Amino acid sequence: MEKPSIPILKSGDCLITSPQVALHDKLAVQFKNDILQRIVETKAKGLVLDVSAIDVVDSFLVRQIGEIAAASSIMGGHVVVVGLRPEVAMALVEMGFSLEGVHTAVNLEKGLEVLHKIWRR
Amino acid sequence: MEQKMIETLEIKNEADIIRARVRAKTIAEALGFNYMDQTRIATAVSELTRNAYQYAGEGKMTINPLNKQGRRGIEIIVEDHGPGIENIELVLKGGHSTGGGLGMGLSGSKKLMDEFDVRTRSDEGTTVTVRKWL
Amino acid sequence: MLKGKTQEPIIESTVLIDVDTQKLKRELSTLLEHNAEEIRSQWIKEMQGQGLLAALSPTEIEEQSKVIYDTCLLCLKTGSYEVAQKYVASMAKKAVLQAMTVDQIIAGLLILRDIYARFIFEWYQKNPTKWRNVNGIYEPVARRILNIATQAFVAERESTIKQLQQQEVAKLSTPIADVWEGVIMMPIVGVLDSARAKQITESLLERISREKTELIAILSIGGIAAIDTQTANYILRTVHAIKLMGSEMIITGIRPDVATTLVTLGIDLSGIVTRSTMREGLEYAFDKLKLKVTKTS
Repeated sequence: MEKPSIPILKSGDCLITSPQVALHDKLAVQFKNDILQRIVETKAKGLVLDVSAIDVVDSFLVRQIGEIAAASSIMGGHVVVVGLRPEVAMALVEMGFSLEGVHTAVNLEKGLEVLHKIWRR
Repeated sequence: MEQKMIETLEIKNEADIIRARVRAKTIAEALGFNYMDQTRIATAVSELTRNAYQYAGEGKMTINPLNKQGRRGIEIIVEDHGPGIENIELVLKGGHSTGGGLGMGLSGSKKLMDEFDVRTRSDEGTTVTVRKWL
Repeated sequence: MLKGKTQEPIIESTVLIDVDTQKLKRELSTLLEHNAEEIRSQWIKEMQGQGLLAALSPTEIEEQSKVIYDTCLLCLKTGSYEVAQKYVASMAKKAVLQAMTVDQIIAGLLILRDIYARFIFEWYQKNPTKWRNVNGIYEPVARRILNIATQAFVAERESTIKQLQQQEVAKLSTPIADVWEGVIMMPIVGVLDSARAKQITESLLERISREKTELIAILSIGGIAAIDTQTANYILRTVHAIKLMGSEMIITGIRPDVATTLVTLGIDLSGIVTRSTMREGLEYAFDKLKLKVTKTS
């Protein structure tokens, strides 16, 4: 498999990824595909998506995240978005997006906690 | 005593969308907008330039600093010569997605900015003008 | 105006009747109009010599100097200072100019005043009486213009200071209280308009983003008199934004009548946790954190 341009790490039963560059559309789609492929390959039960380095999230990216969440859910997994910047969160809410289907947490550590809590249920 | 700073950027590919929003953010910051407003502006630019690129294949963005009787602001115009937007009212109500994004992007940018204007004609293309004031 | 020296000229100028003053005024205006280019370039040259125009482009210098020159002439001709007042007020507002500081602008105007005076002297020096009369027309105008300019800048500066002070006071009046580890509270008293709401929520958001753990923020609005739709919506959006960031904000103190108004206005309160009192809000927070307050022994 070709190495994904944005690293996706595996930690136990979940995947962790933290894009550091601005995701233009092609890259965002590729990123989504890479994630989905990895989830299938590793049978990961969860994904922590760290967006703390992203300063603008628009409808396109929201849609990619939504697709990741939907696909992941079909496979029985959960997605946690962590590190959303306040100004990005506010812009998303103002536009009317709610990031349904994903959990949210303050940071990576808390994100993993959330996943573990969910699995324990 | 202000310099007329007019920024124009051609949108020819996806990297230009990113370039456009970075430029808009930088200018917004220089004009004195806080980080919350800078992000609103950059997000609106991202939506509008993407619409132009996706539906017309090309576009042009112009950024004008505004100064109206001492009140400062930013104006961004995104124009394309694409097929125009049908049912503009429906699209603006948000959610009516012909290709999965036009509606959301347009209504989203309207919500983020203070002023919003769209002119569209099937034989001319589309021009969206948005403004935000300090 | 020195007392001793003005005795004579004053007597002489009161001999003039109004018609003559008008005629002289017209003569002076025409003189300054015809020689505008020469006077203006001399003015620019001297300002440049003092380094006042360093930050401006040649086009700006041309344009602005013309506007100022013409505005001054207008005041002289018409005796009305309205145009000057408007112009100076707008100049003062433009963030007190990125290109020139207030002192530089005043210095520039003082130079113009001197150059006009010099020009008038050179023109009328062969006729001292006439010169004194012309000066008597010119000087009050020049002084008035400078007065207007300085007043406008002072007023603008005062209003900026006031604004900053208000912001600082607003910040102090709505501090974020660290109630417990993981719990912060913001009690709001007084008037909550959208401007204040924006400022409050921005400081809340900033605090939450800085924190390494999730926070439960309690926004207490029991102390506010009324709330408008725009402000209510803004606060509710902030609740959702904080949720997206992985923390939580609850609202306490929504009075029954306020609640009814909000519902009537069609404001969507779903997904918003509210409690009537600050105390219940704290109980909610402690419950969430799996904390309990018990009596010792």
